Amino acid sequence: MTKRSILANSISRRTALQGLTATTALAAMPIRARAQSNATIRWWSPQASPAQVAAYEFQIAQFQALHPEITVVFETTSDEGYAPQLAAAFSSGEVPDIVTHLPSFAVQSYYANGLIEPFNDVIEAIGADDYFPGANDVFQAADGNYCGTGIGNSAANMMWLRKDLMEQAGIESAPTTWDEMRTAVTAMQTGGLYGAPLPYGANSMTSLIFIGFIHQAGGQVFSPDLEVAIDNEGTRNALEFYREMREFCPPGATNYSWGESLTAFVSGATATGIYTGRVLANVRDQNPSIADHITCVTYPRMSEDIAPWTFNDFPSVFIPAQSQQKDAAKLFAAFLFDPEGYIQQLHAAPGHVLPVLQSINNSPLYQDNDIIQKYAPEVELMAASAAGGYNLGYESADHASNEKAGEIIGSNVISELVQRVVLNGDNVDEALGAASATIEGIMQG
Amino acid sequence: MSSSNTLLERRYAALGLMLIAPTVLVFCAVIIYPLVSAIYLSFFNIFTPTLEGEWVGLSNYTELLQTGQFWSALGNTLIWTVGTLSLQIIFGIAMALVLHQNIWFRSLARSLILFPYFISTVVAVLVWKWLFNDLYGIMNHLLISAGIIDFPMDFLGTMPNAMVSVILVGAWKYFPFVVIAVLARLQSIPDALYEAAKIDGAGPIARFFDVTLPQLREVLVVIILLRAIWDFKEFDLIFLLTGGGPINDTQTLPLLVYQEAFALNDMGRASAYAVVMMAIMLVFMIVYIRRTRSEEGS
Repeated sequence: MTKRSILANSISRRTALQGLTATTALAAMPIRARAQSNATIRWWSPQASPAQVAAYEFQIAQFQALHPEITVVFETTSDEGYAPQLAAAFSSGEVPDIVTHLPSFAVQSYYANGLIEPFNDVIEAIGADDYFPGANDVFQAADGNYCGTGIGNSAANMMWLRKDLMEQAGIESAPTTWDEMRTAVTAMQTGGLYGAPLPYGANSMTSLIFIGFIHQAGGQVFSPDLEVAIDNEGTRNALEFYREMREFCPPGATNYSWGESLTAFVSGATATGIYTGRVLANVRDQNPSIADHITCVTYPRMSEDIAPWTFNDFPSVFIPAQSQQKDAAKLFAAFLFDPEGYIQQLHAAPGHVLPVLQSINNSPLYQDNDIIQKYAPEVELMAASAAGGYNLGYESADHASNEKAGEIIGSNVISELVQRVVLNGDNVDEALGAASATIEGIMQG
Repeated sequence: MSSSNTLLERRYAALGLMLIAPTVLVFCAVIIYPLVSAIYLSFFNIFTPTLEGEWVGLSNYTELLQTGQFWSALGNTLIWTVGTLSLQIIFGIAMALVLHQNIWFRSLARSLILFPYFISTVVAVLVWKWLFNDLYGIMNHLLISAGIIDFPMDFLGTMPNAMVSVILVGAWKYFPFVVIAVLARLQSIPDALYEAAKIDGAGPIARFFDVTLPQLREVLVVIILLRAIWDFKEFDLIFLLTGGGPINDTQTLPLLVYQEAFALNDMGRASAYAVVMMAIMLVFMIVYIRRTRSEEGS
């Protein structure tokens, strides 16, 4: 008897149709209905270097040992891609239960649209008094609630320097002004070695870094009451200096984002760098020959009369309002700050993500790290700079929180302004006028 | 007897409907629903994360047609489509002719030539970005070593290099499709035609233009129409290579849809762009359907 005849004899048409109907019904059944006995938390973060993921897995294992009824699943997003991924997640309702390391302005934007759960009780559970003073101000929403909290601080536009190259070029001290910086990179740029890895790509890094240049020239993107104010003398000076710096940057800087810029300095292709403290671990792991020669300072500004402006994206923790596991997610969010796991997470990228809790910063366990000890002055400077840092959602202590900052960065309007003026040589007035109009449209939309 | 047959026929008809129902349901779910939904959304001003918004009628379309960004993106899409498609056809026919010859390792070569087509676009783009890298890329290294350039070339960050690079990578990635289709047709061209041409004194070039190309005409029309549709809507390769930059010089319509929907969170405007894109592609599709029907008829 053939297989065909067995099937033909044993399964009637009616049975086959009944089976098909049952399978279709099972497939159409909501996943949640089948999995309701288990609480599974999906955790998203764009910070996912192998060492960081290993630290997260340690934290997850510790948490699951305490709460065996909860399963935590880590999923990676990206710095350039989180906005579209979250937009799709929010609109489909298939949201992660907890999200970490996104910039504060994104969190404020989501909260303003009712997409995020208030975070007050988690902050209380962590210990509100343990935070550095004012650390949560950037997360305070217009209704007085906190929309999230910081999982760390970052000083994203530190100027990284090679002391050996400075010495060879006869540069005695780190540049503090643009004139000094121009002199330094001119002296250090030799055959095959470029002065700086500034980004000129159509991406968020170019926008975020250039906003720093605007402030380092005494300008601003918005007035404190959030009127569009990018068309100012500071922006013009910043554009002019950024254009001058193009000849000191690698040819491919026109397409640089965070990864390329970091690699250019770490690999020794540029004499200076612009990045967070991730430089430290990457130099140790990828180019140890320069490890004894690197240091960092706050990025130079147009004149010493202007205060340094550090870009801190205030890496956050928040819980989407559509999460079906809010209680478990809040429990896990608070657990992320448990000293043992939190310190391991910070040590996974020492100097890159800086602690927001005073008890952790002062902990001997946190200080017991080869990079933090070797580069103690640099880590201290980054911590101090980040604590007084700002971003487009929080341009200064006087500025109102800008809920549209994420969309402005996502639109690439500022990186487009840089590209038009620097790469295309477009008229500055026209380019600034167009950028102002676009930002105005986003603010009104 | 007659009534029994009718009953049986009815049962079979019902069974036929039941059997076809899953296909129809899937078709409605993945084609009809998104299509109608996109058209519907295009009449609203919608915030993407919440999908909440207000009716704006045709204003998304009128604004879209008035902005330079749409026309610029349409121009870029046409340049990309025509450029990469032309190279795919030229490389594809040339490689198919080579692989049709009795060469050593022909089977291996025929397998390897498919490699770019089967490789993931993300992987392909990462490899090409390394090849194009200004500091460590082999392309710049070779060009400098050969004395062609003195300083590294910026392949992806300036124009026209960025558009040329994207077109070349697209041609490399998709020309194997042309190879497969053309090679299949080449193998079915009767040898008698070539023998007759030889007897008439035709050389290799004349045989190509007078015998091979006319025989390939039908298959080339189908390839061009299909690939034009696919290239017109290409997203991942361009997005990953240049992100639409420098400025917006390689921003095609699919990238613009993505930016409107997920960077600017304006799903209504994005849907309007998508609907206009669909209308343009509809022209290609109608030509393709007419072409295939006429072939079936003949």
